[in-house]
Amino acid sequence: MPKSLLIISRQAPWSGPSAREALDIVLAGGAFDLPIGLLFLDDGVFQLAAKQDAKALQQKDLSANLQALPMFGVEQLFVCGDSSAARGLEGFALAEAQVLSAAEITALIDRYDQVITL
Amino acid sequence: MHAVLLIESAMKFAIALFSAAHAPSSRRALLFAQAALAGGHEIVRLFFYQDGVYNASASVVTPQDELDVPRQWRAFVTDHQLDGVVCIAAALRRGVLNEEEAKRYQRDAVSAGAPWELSGLGQLHDAVQDADRLICFGGA
Amino acid sequence: MSTLHVLSHSPFGDDRLTSCLRVIGTDDGLLLSGDAAYALQPGTAPFAVLSARGLKLFVLAEDAQARAISVPDWAIGVDYPAFVDLSIHYDKVNSWL
Repeated sequence: MPKSLLIISRQAPWSGPSAREALDIVLAGGAFDLPIGLLFLDDGVFQLAAKQDAKALQQKDLSANLQALPMFGVEQLFVCGDSSAARGLEGFALAEAQVLSAAEITALIDRYDQVITL
Repeated sequence: MHAVLLIESAMKFAIALFSAAHAPSSRRALLFAQAALAGGHEIVRLFFYQDGVYNASASVVTPQDELDVPRQWRAFVTDHQLDGVVCIAAALRRGVLNEEEAKRYQRDAVSAGAPWELSGLGQLHDAVQDADRLICFGGA
Repeated sequence: MSTLHVLSHSPFGDDRLTSCLRVIGTDDGLLLSGDAAYALQPGTAPFAVLSARGLKLFVLAEDAQARAISVPDWAIGVDYPAFVDLSIHYDKVNSWL
């Protein structure tokens, strides 16, 4: 039984390479068929905002990678409801992401064997 | 006052470091790693990611009156024959190159030599699967 | 399953402590390291929150000492061997990088 790994991504999409490097861990895990979960928390929820324009900052658009997650076998995708509400986000660019309450996040972290919060 | 805890049997640790050598968390990672081995535990892999790759740089020059963290990591990994892996994508982006990569990208400076191995994130996942505990250090 | 949460940022002007406290479980522990030790500065909001919370709270002794912060009796100062033991006692470690 492989160990499950939850990645908690807390940084906004272009606050540095963190959002991208968190996603790389997830994609690599998916490529190796490992049970990986991804939770967007705090500013990380901004990665799921609609109509972003990475090109305006000469940055890579992460949304294509995000959309590809289910194809890499990563279907456990979560977003913190409180973080989203606090940041005025209503819809998400990733329809598959489950919105979780704080109590549900506590239970989520508990369910995984390992966790990396970056 | 120190906590008195039960002595556990030998555990396997995977230690991942995300911050540069001069960050306090890098020193904490080193001290934790040393304590883990001193406590009779095993370190299955040391994995440097994000700014953690700078800990593998031989180009870092530390002032004489400061703790030379890269040198301490090198000695630690060499003395205990540990597996010290640096994420290649994170390293390239930050200019930490071994001889092979310096040649490949035609760069003058070779900053990462032995005992460090440049490899992919698969090594991190491998370590997470193998170890009993994953500890990450970084941020500040 | 229990988790040892590890913080290393100052609670002032950073939201990691707040977020951590929103999701920390009743069986979990919290280790303050680095600038997170400032959360034990008396007379502050973080100090008040932590003292009322009733968590299993640990602080890296060297970080409290360096900052001239006394470890209150509702927290436990730990050295590195104890930190290693804590990481084993809890089922996993979640460092808020």
